[in-house]
Amino acid sequence: MHDKTVRRRRALLVLLVVLSLLLLTAYFGEAPSGRLHSVQRGFLTVVSPIQDGANKALKPVRDLFGGISDTFHAKSQRNELRKQVAKLRRELVADQGEKRSYRELLGVFHLDNQLSIANYHPVTATVFAKSPNIWYSTVTIDKGEAAGVHINDPVINGEGLVGKVTQVASDGAVISLITDSTVGVSARLGTTSATGIVQPKVGDPNDLLLQYLPANTQVGKGEYVVTSGTVASPDNSLYPPGLLIGQVTSVNEESAYKSVNVHPIANLHNLDVVQVLTAASGSLPANLGRIAASLPAGQNPNGGATGEALASTGAHP
Amino acid sequence: MTPPGAALVTRIAALSVALVLVQIGVVSEVPLFGVNIDLSPLLVAFVGLLCGSTLGAVTGFAVGLLVDLALVQTLGVTSLIFTLIGYWGGRLRELRDPQAALTPLLVGAAASVVSLVGYSLIEFLLGVDAPVSLDLLRQIVLGVVVNTIAAVPMWALVRRVLESALPDDPRRRRRRRAYTTGGLSPLSRS
Repeated sequence: MHDKTVRRRRALLVLLVVLSLLLLTAYFGEAPSGRLHSVQRGFLTVVSPIQDGANKALKPVRDLFGGISDTFHAKSQRNELRKQVAKLRRELVADQGEKRSYRELLGVFHLDNQLSIANYHPVTATVFAKSPNIWYSTVTIDKGEAAGVHINDPVINGEGLVGKVTQVASDGAVISLITDSTVGVSARLGTTSATGIVQPKVGDPNDLLLQYLPANTQVGKGEYVVTSGTVASPDNSLYPPGLLIGQVTSVNEESAYKSVNVHPIANLHNLDVVQVLTAASGSLPANLGRIAASLPAGQNPNGGATGEALASTGAHP
Repeated sequence: MTPPGAALVTRIAALSVALVLVQIGVVSEVPLFGVNIDLSPLLVAFVGLLCGSTLGAVTGFAVGLLVDLALVQTLGVTSLIFTLIGYWGGRLRELRDPQAALTPLLVGAAASVVSLVGYSLIEFLLGVDAPVSLDLLRQIVLGVVVNTIAAVPMWALVRRVLESALPDDPRRRRRRRAYTTGGLSPLSRS
């Protein structure tokens, strides 16, 4: 009797482990349109309203704990922000004159057809779930295909770039944050035209790495890093140019390329409301995105060989 | 191996769903020392510790699947790790039946170590596109510390919900009787 019990217990363990390994292998090997991914999207569709309701009901509890946590950091943040305000005020005064001249020049040379965020039909969504895992920096939002959200749409909040949509169901979507190991963003420094790729450093959610900058690039601590508006491969998301990503915290000297550490501007630990930049079908951003997606990787439509396909706005696969 | 009662299974299922919802909707949004508390491995380990290896492993698989489905993560990773945690929690009870006050803390810490290190190993095996920081070790250590802190209230909750539905265990009944009737209590000798 005892032997039978032991055998049955061990058989169950082996069965569950084998089942897990089969699921893992099948999921990892299949395309995003595969069966298991579809099951996952179906599950997301079903549980989104439940999670959304639970999130709303539990919001006071979350706010209470969040408030306590914020209080500990409030004083140091206030002092830091005061310094930043003084610095930005000085920069604003200097920039206003240059901006006026810039606008005049754009008008003179008929170049004033730049796209703004409004061209991307931003969809406002509420975050209702977040992964607790170090390896998955993802959040789930309450807007999906029904609201025009597509895979690879860029996601922002009031502070800067947050991430991109990686899974979408009819009434919900999963956003991989810029600190997720699967996300890479083409970016440039605020003051130069040198571009690189911003990637997360797994294990350090407060640090990003801007890599592959030319070795002679001049970089200063505190400099802003923004999206370049280009993609490194057709599978990447096209982020509109000029979206704020973070601030340079340190520079790493390397031989062939330079890399810098970047602190994300958006507070990714405390996301409540985000905006998904959904370029509507037929709009200028969507058309530009389609052109970029059809380019072979590493080809520049202007004829140059910069290693990045040039595109300027949000793309859909 | 007697089949578990329907009441016990229902309670475990309800507790698991509720805790996963609270985890991804509230607990994950409130970082402590820069990391998030992860209640799910604690839940699975404590179910194993209270209900045995079979229920522990099944609960681990189910909770892992639920977490992977709800958070749209790679299916099977969490199930694999949680199955082992639940089974190990159950075996600990079946072989040693530890009664020390520190047991929940130690089991919680061990479950967190297995969960965090297991995830990292599997992710490395699957391939990581991004550079990996040495701070990952610090995150793992901090994760284990905050989970260990959370283990005490979590143990109290899981025990409170499940204990009345647990089948009567002869070993525990003997131990309880010994201490309550005075037969073998060390206090009764003085």
